[in-house]
Amino acid sequence: MLINYIKIAWKVLLRHPFYTFITLFGISLTLTVLMVLTSFLDHLIGSHYPETKRDRSLYIMQMLQTDSSRSSRSMGPMSFKFLTDYAKSLKTPERVTLCTFINSSNAYVGSQKIKLNTKFTDADFWQVTDFEFLEGKPYNEQNIANGDYVAVITDDFKNHYFGNTTESVIGKDVEIENIHYKVIGVVKGSPVTRPFTYADVYFPYTTPKSNYQRSGFRGGYVAILLAKNKSDLKAIQDEFQSHINRIPLPGNQDGFKYSVLEVKSDPYLENFIGTLLDGGPGLRTIFFGVIGFIMFMLMGLPAINLVNINVSRIMERASEIGIRKAFGAPVKALVWQFIVENIFITFIGGAIALVLTFMIIQLINNSGWIAYADLTINMNVFIISLLVCLVFGLLSGVLPALRMSKLNIAEALKA
Amino acid sequence: MIRHLFKLIWNKKKTHALLMIEIWASFMVLFGLASLIVYNVGNYTKPLGFEYKNVWAISLKSNQDTTNVEQKIQRALQQLKTYADVESATRMSSNFPFSANSMNNGVEYNKKKIMADFYVTDDNFAKTLDIPMAAGKWYRNADSIGKYTPVIINQKAKEGLFGDENPMGKIIGERFKVVGTVNTFKAKGEFMADKPAVFELLNAKSPWNDLLLIRVKPGTDAVFEAKIVKNITSMLTGWSVEVDHLADSRKNQHNLTLVPVIIFLIVCSFLLINVALGLFGILNLSIAKRRSEIGLRRALGATEKGISTQFIGEIWVLATFGMLIGLLFAAQFPLLNVFDLHANVYITAIVVSIIVIYLIVTLCALFPSRQAATIQPAVALHEE
Repeated sequence: MLINYIKIAWKVLLRHPFYTFITLFGISLTLTVLMVLTSFLDHLIGSHYPETKRDRSLYIMQMLQTDSSRSSRSMGPMSFKFLTDYAKSLKTPERVTLCTFINSSNAYVGSQKIKLNTKFTDADFWQVTDFEFLEGKPYNEQNIANGDYVAVITDDFKNHYFGNTTESVIGKDVEIENIHYKVIGVVKGSPVTRPFTYADVYFPYTTPKSNYQRSGFRGGYVAILLAKNKSDLKAIQDEFQSHINRIPLPGNQDGFKYSVLEVKSDPYLENFIGTLLDGGPGLRTIFFGVIGFIMFMLMGLPAINLVNINVSRIMERASEIGIRKAFGAPVKALVWQFIVENIFITFIGGAIALVLTFMIIQLINNSGWIAYADLTINMNVFIISLLVCLVFGLLSGVLPALRMSKLNIAEALKA
Repeated sequence: MIRHLFKLIWNKKKTHALLMIEIWASFMVLFGLASLIVYNVGNYTKPLGFEYKNVWAISLKSNQDTTNVEQKIQRALQQLKTYADVESATRMSSNFPFSANSMNNGVEYNKKKIMADFYVTDDNFAKTLDIPMAAGKWYRNADSIGKYTPVIINQKAKEGLFGDENPMGKIIGERFKVVGTVNTFKAKGEFMADKPAVFELLNAKSPWNDLLLIRVKPGTDAVFEAKIVKNITSMLTGWSVEVDHLADSRKNQHNLTLVPVIIFLIVCSFLLINVALGLFGILNLSIAKRRSEIGLRRALGATEKGISTQFIGEIWVLATFGMLIGLLFAAQFPLLNVFDLHANVYITAIVVSIIVIYLIVTLCALFPSRQAATIQPAVALHEE
């Protein structure tokens, strides 16, 4: 029976190529937009190179200090000392790494200038993240204790600085702001969309200009807490919070008196949305309202369009319906047939969308808009798109099918 | 004729409900896109107010060094001025043009209060960025005598605080004395809204404000840049130095505005193409269904033109119904001043969207109605 329905659907599709084109255009386009969007979101918040352990990591990104009247507040990353005292000392996590956010700098080779992003990290950074070392190895506790002037660079920076060479550059010198560092490792870079790991050059925090000695609570450092397994996340958050609660309040920093101090350790997604929506519940509602509206338009407009087309086209097939009804086909069977037909065409559209998405993703990955972009159609994205496909097929199939089932036999046969 | 068309559509409102919803939704999408574009184009047409080419921003960071920071910054500035390639050098707060930083404060005059962007600059700022004065003169270090700090305000700040009054010599915010005005100053690039700005004279003895701007001779390259970075870092041990070219920073600022607009534009145009194709298909089918009606009208003496006008008129009435619903929503934006935009932006956007929708539906109806008009009455009636 199903095969028969599909055969009929195929014949109907071929009869009017123009309408088939309109329908497929609408479906595949909408699905493409949705899939590229999901794939981009997955790129932003999913666990990917080099933050493959993101699902069992907690991120500490900023400290919020507010005065008693709540009229002024100060917000930003923390000092190395603060994080050493309150985060590095945690017992529950497997490992804790402290690193700076992105700092920028320049390097000069001959008459060429290279824009650089640098990051100061501790030795644990290389254990918490999963960087792939193309050459050499990371710096360790020993290098840090010695205060060695060493650096880990990315392959991209290596090509710019040393020219496109296949030779090993381990042990060579890079000069950045008048200081010479010895290269001890070359890694495959991280995309700019992952600010906790993205940089061109990584230094141990004991090299000059890292400001790790700074006293006080605020500075340029953030932390990643790696749990032994996912179920420990809650315990780590609680332990960290208990450390924070020990800080005496109100306090004073550089003349700024604060009575509220907030530092959160959040999973990546919450951390990410938290900074995006730092404007109270009002802004959050607006933000989600706007996203919801856009999604509704994105899905709704093509769906309404499809329903419209289907409703008009069903009338073309009035005689076929009339004959089937006259021979005793129940309304349920007819409705079922039309739904199957719609789902069938939606899946064809879905297949086209997959190909289109694949092409667009390749385009984004290769264009260099985002360095090291690694957008993929993975299992999650694919399943979500399939579900969307189904909803779409039902949405545009049910209404016309109902409309059709009300058709009077005599009237249908007359046409 | 029009009243008749309205009646025709109203009688079939159930069958046309979905079409109207479709037009309503397209109108809303178009309205959003048009508001965004109208707003940005409106900003773009206002002059930037300064010249950014060949200007470099040099950020100094003292890191662990805390002794005599202000003297060291002044020394670096003096050093920069000695180079033959540097035409002019100035020291300012970290919110240099096209940077990601911003600083704003409320200022008050005669109970009128505005939020203004604050820029702390020295006497060479106007020369380095080539800012033309509208009135008065750019302040000099000598102007800081007395309890008031001299400030320059831009046109927008002048309108907000003084209206038609002459601002020269007035005291604002209790400690600033206005000594001059400039026209516009859009520090975040062409797409930034023209906002009130206040330039405050920098105190050379304060340890903050460690950003230096220099205007170099055209054609100066990275070799010279490497040289100044080397000189400054060897002069100030332990300090970090970073050089940004304003022309590059401007590109970044532009991308922040342009990329979302372009993505929105692409998605919207695909949605609208989709809707247009759908409309075209539906009209084609419904006209094919009404062959007998058309044949009858033709037989009774209706002209070809009359037939095609009828169909285009019908779709226009449909579009009008859809857009009336859309207007109910869109009108809230200028009325409630959503997102603090000027009402004109929304009104222009509404007008633009209405025109585009009429254009789309007309284009979609044109071909099917032509086809309908050529139907031979004899053939159509015979089929019946």
